[in-house]
Amino acid sequence: MASVVISGDTSGAITISAPAVAGTNTLTLPVATDTLVGKTTTDTLTNKTLTSPTLTTPALGTPASGVLTSCTGVNYDGYKNRIINGAMVIDQRNAGASVTVNSSTATYPVDRFAGRGVSSAGVFTAQQSSTAPTGFNNSVVCTVTTSATPASTDAYLFRQNIEGYNVADLGFGAAGASTVTLSFWVRSSLTGTFGGAIQNDAFNRFYPFSYTISSANTFEYKTVTITGDTSGTWLKTNGNGMTVSFSLGAGSSRVNTAGTWTSSTSEGATGQTNLISTNGATFYITGVQLEKGSTATSFDYRSYGTELQLCQRYYWKNLASSTYSQLGMTCLTPNTTTTVGYPNLPVVMRSTPSVTVSNVRMVDSVTGLAVTAVSVTQNSAITPEVSFTVSGATQYRVYTLQANNNASAYIDYSAEL
Amino acid sequence: MYKEVKNLEGAVVSVVKDNYLSIPFDPDNTDYQQYLAWVAEGNTPTPADEGTQ
Repeated sequence: MASVVISGDTSGAITISAPAVAGTNTLTLPVATDTLVGKTTTDTLTNKTLTSPTLTTPALGTPASGVLTSCTGVNYDGYKNRIINGAMVIDQRNAGASVTVNSSTATYPVDRFAGRGVSSAGVFTAQQSSTAPTGFNNSVVCTVTTSATPASTDAYLFRQNIEGYNVADLGFGAAGASTVTLSFWVRSSLTGTFGGAIQNDAFNRFYPFSYTISSANTFEYKTVTITGDTSGTWLKTNGNGMTVSFSLGAGSSRVNTAGTWTSSTSEGATGQTNLISTNGATFYITGVQLEKGSTATSFDYRSYGTELQLCQRYYWKNLASSTYSQLGMTCLTPNTTTTVGYPNLPVVMRSTPSVTVSNVRMVDSVTGLAVTAVSVTQNSAITPEVSFTVSGATQYRVYTLQANNNASAYIDYSAEL
Repeated sequence: MYKEVKNLEGAVVSVVKDNYLSIPFDPDNTDYQQYLAWVAEGNTPTPADEGTQ
């Protein structure tokens, strides 16, 4: 092997060697005062054009701007955020009004997110808010209205249950389960360590997590990376595939060490601040995102229409727009006390929905008959049979469902998790 | 708390909770799952009215 040895300025030497080679080859040095880059050295390259590169496990970092064009093999996950309504924009139930959480019944301040508590020991309200960090228009604010020190098994929380179909690809419950990353914006009147948990439907697999709120009444961005759970049963169809829960208070037997999977019931993390213990304390949250991988990326904004339809798989409220609005159902009249209709739901719901009505009536071209009861009498996730109880209907006549002189009238359909 | 509802053929096909919420007998419906848990605790729903849905 031919070589040239160049002595170092003060010591040592660099040997330039030519390998075994056939023919004549030319190595051209750059016309610049510069430093050559080695194959295995770590360098920052400037103003380079790469033609047909193969990038193995690249990390793009957080460039201020950039355009990817004509790419093949780019693995962009179209449904990146597994949380629905993470920006807290959709509120079909309450139209921005406050709800009170004073029981274990799931109460929804916005679509897909529910508050839960225990009895009425501690009470908080939850409401869509226009107070939000830059880049968001809404959040949900939880405000403690009756403080309580959580008893050992008490838990107060704000959570979303994710349908199994939407997390099935994460492969939880088996070897190779994907790491996921939870990110969100949070603000509280309190500072300190706060907690939450990832849970399965069987409520026997838990990942308590914690995060720190450093400044009172200031939105802060938080990320939590969670190693995929290789144990337990995680539903993968239309059941509850995963619960993401933010704790507002939890008793001693409902918290565990953050950052590890456990089968011990966990609604929060050991050492967490219990918001519910401070009357008037506030907790704002928005920009909630759960994504595959170990890096929190920018929030996955979806169009309003897309987000609304995603929500309507779980809940749809057909709300009157005037005092005698039609509410989207034509009904048959098998007898004088019953009308039967088949609503066309806007999307296929997760299951046959439960139904409620408020201030509605049946009307033909002449008469309006107040509806006194409603019942689902045939199962379907897209066109269920809904029966209405009235008085004095004309058999075989066609009626339509209408607001009964009330602009707040509605019929709603719930297939929540 | 819960009251059974019959269809026109006389079969019990759903229940109404608190005279407000109509719950279909769909195993995937979480309200129905809660109803089944309530029954499993030894509770019994109010029978449907005769001759009506």
